[in-house]
Amino acid sequence: MSKEAARRLIFCPRCDARQEVSKVTKSTSCPGCHRNILTSDVEINEYCAKIEMWTAGIVTVGKKGTLIAEVRAESVVVKGGEIKGPVTSRGPVTLEKGSRVFGNITAPSLCIVESQHVVGMIVTGPRAAELLAEIEAGVVSKPPPPQGKSPQPAKVA
Amino acid sequence: MADAPRPGSETLIGSDVSIKGEMSFDGSMRIEGKVEGKIASKGKISFGQGAQVVAEVSVGEAKIEGTFKGNLTAANRIELAATAHVMGDVRSTKLVIAEGATFVGNCHVSPDSLKQVEKSEFVTPVAATPIKK
Repeated sequence: MSKEAARRLIFCPRCDARQEVSKVTKSTSCPGCHRNILTSDVEINEYCAKIEMWTAGIVTVGKKGTLIAEVRAESVVVKGGEIKGPVTSRGPVTLEKGSRVFGNITAPSLCIVESQHVVGMIVTGPRAAELLAEIEAGVVSKPPPPQGKSPQPAKVA
Repeated sequence: MADAPRPGSETLIGSDVSIKGEMSFDGSMRIEGKVEGKIASKGKISFGQGAQVVAEVSVGEAKIEGTFKGNLTAANRIELAATAHVMGDVRSTKLVIAEGATFVGNCHVSPDSLKQVEKSEFVTPVAATPIKK
């Protein structure tokens, strides 16, 4: 096997700087922000609470896994487990049956097989990142809130 | 006397139809044209690939293949096909999104998501009592 084939392209989850690394690389230093990047795939099959789970690989949450963190990855797969925290992915996010996600999801492609617990803002589609930036900048106006009868607070004598 | 809708029958709003206003129906409806306003039903609604809907929708089940802007509440299930383009908030007990669909908005999917709406509509907030000096 040639050495060329054993390399892969990764993007820094912090600054989006690209670099080529060996397929067996577990972590490396980013040439853009000079910070450590986890490049390996991560599989969560138990309770895991972290501030951030940033990797240039794939994050998989198994059926018995609970991940509490800000997730940024190349791809995210939830196989019936749970994520609490915002999820940002460069690639597809897949939620299999019975998965639970409590947090915003931003991904170019989102596949929800049949989920009963998804709470948060979802920005997905080919222009997901651009749309999110536009929403944050206030360019795209969000649809108006439902025009239900809003309860009026009681007057205080 | 009005006949009950036959099982399997579907109301179709064609691609050359444009409607503005409030709609309600029993059974199921498929929209291929343009609709603007409010749709309320306990039945099933589906927006075809060419549909352009800007509405406040509250139904039993919804399937979207076209463009939809507004808030969508479905008692049973919401399904977004790969060609769906949705901008707005969705609330349901079950959600299915096909790979390739575009969706921008808040999502509240849980078995008790609709109960929370009902509760919030009827709970009157108690005003704070002013502090007596």
